[in-house]
Amino acid sequence: MNTIVDTKTANKPRQAATMQGETSAQGSDTPSLSIVMEDRKASRANPAKASAEKLNFWYGSNQALKNINLVIPEHQVTALIGPSGCGKSTFLRCFNRMHDLQADTKYEGAITLRPDNVNLVGPETDPIEVRMRIGMVFQKPNPFPKSVFENVAYGLRLRGINNKTELAERVEKALRGAAIWDEVKDRLNDSALALSGGQMQRVCISRALATEPEILLFDEPTSALDPIATAKIEELITELRQRVTVLIVTHNMQQAARVSDFTAFMYLGELVEVDATSKIFTNPAKKATEDYITGRYG
Amino acid sequence: MEADEQAAAAGVMPSKRAPGGAGSHAGSDPLEGHTSKTMDQSLTELRTHAVEMGGLVIDQVGTAVKALLDRDLRLAELVLSREPLVNGYELRLDRDTLTFIALQQPVASDLRATRAVARVALELERVGDESKKIARFAAKAGAASEHDPVVAVARYLRHMAALSTTMLRSAVRALDEASPELAREVLALDKELDAEFATAIRQLMSFVMEDHQFLRATIDTIFALKGLERIGDHAKNIAEQVLYMVEGERPGRKSA
Repeated sequence: MNTIVDTKTANKPRQAATMQGETSAQGSDTPSLSIVMEDRKASRANPAKASAEKLNFWYGSNQALKNINLVIPEHQVTALIGPSGCGKSTFLRCFNRMHDLQADTKYEGAITLRPDNVNLVGPETDPIEVRMRIGMVFQKPNPFPKSVFENVAYGLRLRGINNKTELAERVEKALRGAAIWDEVKDRLNDSALALSGGQMQRVCISRALATEPEILLFDEPTSALDPIATAKIEELITELRQRVTVLIVTHNMQQAARVSDFTAFMYLGELVEVDATSKIFTNPAKKATEDYITGRYG
Repeated sequence: MEADEQAAAAGVMPSKRAPGGAGSHAGSDPLEGHTSKTMDQSLTELRTHAVEMGGLVIDQVGTAVKALLDRDLRLAELVLSREPLVNGYELRLDRDTLTFIALQQPVASDLRATRAVARVALELERVGDESKKIARFAAKAGAASEHDPVVAVARYLRHMAALSTTMLRSAVRALDEASPELAREVLALDKELDAEFATAIRQLMSFVMEDHQFLRATIDTIFALKGLERIGDHAKNIAEQVLYMVEGERPGRKSA
């Protein structure tokens, strides 16, 4: 658990191995052992960036999360899947204390953020502080009714950065990071609301990236986008893990399979199973997971 | 088993799930029960076609060996004439599994079942090839003589044909019924088949040492024996695919 696996090398062999396995049909006695080993190596987890420990959560008297224990590996993408109402969005929102904005909610247990072991849901922890470190991107692109530049600069200004050169540099860096710089570099002063849906979503990702968060939360980030815009966001998420740890909620199972390293399946407020994505989508351990991903649920 | 035997002789292997099949355990099949009925239907069709192909191929093996032992040219030609049918099944299953993956995006047990069908079709096609080679040898072998390598190992040819078709039948039924027990029976039989092959080869060696005249025929007979041994390997591969389909682990490859 101490070795940091480079995400690039950690994930490429997995795909290569699958291809190899598919083509070497002859003499199925021999090929798979090395592939299985390759696979295990690829899915080895990085050290934890955060971990939920005995996390419970209530909306009033309704318990939405039940004793969740989940490790979020650093610089990898963890996908949360499950039917509507299973608590996956509720769980995601605990990470940046979104529930604090709503009355009559209660946390119990902990989400420990490394390396300084802050309990994100602890009453002693300032939610504003938490949101500085944990960024979030929502289902519907929600840029502020401001220019592209000001959208991305917003969080930086809040942090007291007003130096024009520094702002310009960091805005450009964030826009490049979200793979939208080339498309908006000549329209930085146009309203962000004039962009296409996919572009708006990438501006929102830039806005989240500008403050250099440690974890980026995505709540169904592509459900309002067309397939091309979706592919761009997915590609972006795959690249982003080199810089941040990603936690994504998605209803699109193929999306979870494409972008994530680990997949967690939740049902009725409980965490049913978590494993390497390649394992979950080929041979899940729990029948409930199998039924859900193969479309036998309900 | 008697009914199965007869059906197989006619080149048909009735699927347990096919319309008109036994169907007594309908609904208990682990690969059914999807919310989407299209998914259920497509998967069932794929497996049914693989089972049909299996029936045809098993009959090809039995007929080819019978043609060789009885020097029956008509049977040899029957095998050769049905070879394109076998290839047709393989092409169709290859195409259908690819389409199914593209359109339905199966995962987990569904994905494993889809791949199992594609691989089983490939194995069965190779069994068809082995039968074709045996039939070709039968077609050109001519009348049996007193001193004939085929006659010398007839007992082994007959036994190996029986063993390999039994293995194939259990392997295909294992696919049909998603039964790991049947698949394991196949794996257990392979050692016996290999032992028979080794004994037959020893027999042929002493045969050829006594008389060099039938060297060509002896080599062909070795190929026929080897073909039957390979058919057992293909049956074993099918059984392993079924085990992976049902259990998600390859037999003997559970990593620590």
